Amino acid sequence: MIVDLSRPLTRIEAAAYGTVGVLLFLGIWSLLSLSGAAPREFLPTPYQVATRFGQLLSTQFAGATLPQHLVSSIMRFAYGFLLGAAVGIPLGLLMGWFRVLDEIVSPVFDAFRFIAPIAWVPFAALWFGTGIGGPILIIFAGAFPPCLINSYRGARFVSRPLIEAAQMLGTRNLHIILEVLLPASTASIVAGLRVSAGLGWQSLIGAELIVASTGVGFMMVQAQLNIATATVMSAMVAVGIVGFLIDAGLRWIEAAVRRRGFA
Amino acid sequence: MSRRFVVGLTTIITLGAVWYLVMMPLGLVSPGRFPSPDDVWFSFRQVAFTGYANGLLYQHALQSLRLVVFGFFVAAGTGVPLGLLMGWSRRAEALINPVFLLIRPIPPLAWIPLAILWLGIGDAAKVMVIWFAAFVPSVINSFTGVRTIEPYVIEAARMLGTPRYRFVAEVLIPAAAPLIFTGLRLSLQASWTTLVAAELVGALYGLGRVLNVAQQDIYPGMIFIGMACVAIFGWAMTRLLAEVEARALPWIQMARAS
Amino acid sequence: MAAITFDAVRKAFGGKIGFVALKCVDLAIADQEFVAIVGPSGCGKTTSLRLVAGFEFPTAGSVKVDGRRVSGPGPDRAVVFQQFALFPWKTVFDNIALGLRNKGIAKAERNSRVAKAITLMNLEGYEAAFPHQLSGGMQQRVAIARAYVLDPDVLLMDEPFGSLDAQTRTTMQEELVRLARLIPRTVLFVTHAVEEAVYLADRVAIMTRRPGRIKEVIDIRSVRVAEKWDQHERIEDVMDLESFIHWRTHIWRSLREEKSAQER
Repeated sequence: MIVDLSRPLTRIEAAAYGTVGVLLFLGIWSLLSLSGAAPREFLPTPYQVATRFGQLLSTQFAGATLPQHLVSSIMRFAYGFLLGAAVGIPLGLLMGWFRVLDEIVSPVFDAFRFIAPIAWVPFAALWFGTGIGGPILIIFAGAFPPCLINSYRGARFVSRPLIEAAQMLGTRNLHIILEVLLPASTASIVAGLRVSAGLGWQSLIGAELIVASTGVGFMMVQAQLNIATATVMSAMVAVGIVGFLIDAGLRWIEAAVRRRGFA
Repeated sequence: MSRRFVVGLTTIITLGAVWYLVMMPLGLVSPGRFPSPDDVWFSFRQVAFTGYANGLLYQHALQSLRLVVFGFFVAAGTGVPLGLLMGWSRRAEALINPVFLLIRPIPPLAWIPLAILWLGIGDAAKVMVIWFAAFVPSVINSFTGVRTIEPYVIEAARMLGTPRYRFVAEVLIPAAAPLIFTGLRLSLQASWTTLVAAELVGALYGLGRVLNVAQQDIYPGMIFIGMACVAIFGWAMTRLLAEVEARALPWIQMARAS
Repeated sequence: MAAITFDAVRKAFGGKIGFVALKCVDLAIADQEFVAIVGPSGCGKTTSLRLVAGFEFPTAGSVKVDGRRVSGPGPDRAVVFQQFALFPWKTVFDNIALGLRNKGIAKAERNSRVAKAITLMNLEGYEAAFPHQLSGGMQQRVAIARAYVLDPDVLLMDEPFGSLDAQTRTTMQEELVRLARLIPRTVLFVTHAVEEAVYLADRVAIMTRRPGRIKEVIDIRSVRVAEKWDQHERIEDVMDLESFIHWRTHIWRSLREEKSAQER
């Protein structure tokens, strides 16, 4: 019988295995590239990618340096994400409290929900051209649903005794939402924000692949058209790093919220 | 009929009526920007019976669906076993996790340019991107599925002298099954979303292609049809998977209820 | 059947939270004897059972069953868990049958053994039910049936009635006594409920607080035989007897000493 599950590895053992894993990965990659099994233009070595990444920090490609492209992307993401949260969270809380609102909005929401955010690109292009409105619409389409769903769930499933206690103390509707539902739903809302950020960032990249003239996604498409593989990969790494940082930041907030005792 | 249903239906009908009124007699929105119910109907008839973007609706749908299904099965078929292995073996986890963590933050859609670079705009590139998108949720959820098995279930199996193969088939997998299905659901959604995106960026056929051509032709009615199809098929696949889950895990409904 | 011996057993758990669960446990359980271990919470009684089961191994000393060191879990030392540990995706029948399948017993023989166990534990009619459709008491009956069907050398029961409500608990205790008299085997029974231990066991071992060792072992069997407890069918009648109360109180007092020493 396997007894592996019952024996956690020591810190050192885990680190050793991990290092071996990463080295194996980089090694196989380098081997494939250097041996010519894949043509060099299509598969640069890890070292070449790293070098190119460094270059792009100060050299321009497709109209701007990597950091400049990133800034454009992050700005769009921020607008779309914050809009999604600003609309989704209050609406979700209200829907969680006012049953009628829930009954009106839910069917509409459910109908739109299954439209993949990226499918909004054609309308975004039609309505906003290459303006910033386009990507924001798409990011909003991605970021809005989790915010709404999670704040709705948080509000709807607040423990009844809490609400009854507030009512007994004479708290009126609006105040109940602000002072009971919102704090009690904080954990759920923050979890929703995390999912939202992930989907929003991903939608942004997708949008930029099609309807942008700046930004990391645009950069990737240009690099692909020019068969500048190392640049494509550098951009992917940058996208991954930013996505990771956003998620890490929200995870930190999630932990802080938990520590402060919000559900 | 529950109140909820009635209110919902009323809302939908009201919105439909508003849509019709705004577009037709009142002409409040320019027809070049937003489709009217007539436009939508016309577009539907066109793509369904005459053809658009080099194909009939069912052909485009079939193309998209078969790629999604294929990609999904490959991703789940590799992701679930890997997740189970990583969940069960701390060594496998320690070995694979760091590499996994490096790849994971890269959003699936970001793989599209690389996939096109390597494999062109044919089916292979789509499957590659779908794999990257759908692989991750399957791994993570199968992993968690194993890690959250209560220790006494495993101990009971060991006490009963269960040999390895039977343990995996009759204890490990059923115990992790609920979370495995959660992973499958997320994988399927990711597969569908990613495919549509990949087809939008570059493809010859498929629903994404229809959307792409409609965008270039500035044809709002067709865009609407494309989006509606994306939504409907997305919903249908999710329902189908839910049915499979209900059949495969009859005991889970009772477990959840108690 | 087999005897169990704890010989100067010490069990320490390492890692970040290092602590000694068992200091020096010496206990000998004879063949077909029903021994209960009682003690304050956290004293190490469950750990002792897990050592016999083979889920843990001693840091020093030895745990032997039938003269051989325990090297891992197995159907010869069947365990009944407090949480039942039935497989929710298997029917009652399949849950009970799994151990026999693992032993490679042929289908016909298997089916008859499982049927007997089902009858023994009053589970007729529930063969095709899933665990979640059953009450706690019934689930534990399935778990006991699962253990009995293995014809184990040793039966290990870890607070098996701890998750049940008071009434179900009493019913199960009566059933276990009936079973133990009908099909005697070596039993190690862990509980913190003193009355349960005195009612069920041949001998009751009292464990000190952590790090645990055996403080005292009381021979209940001689008292039970002398005072003819088995004549009374109902548990409340037995618990009303002076001899029962005397020994129950004795053990309570002993445990209270441990508890107040623990709190100091």
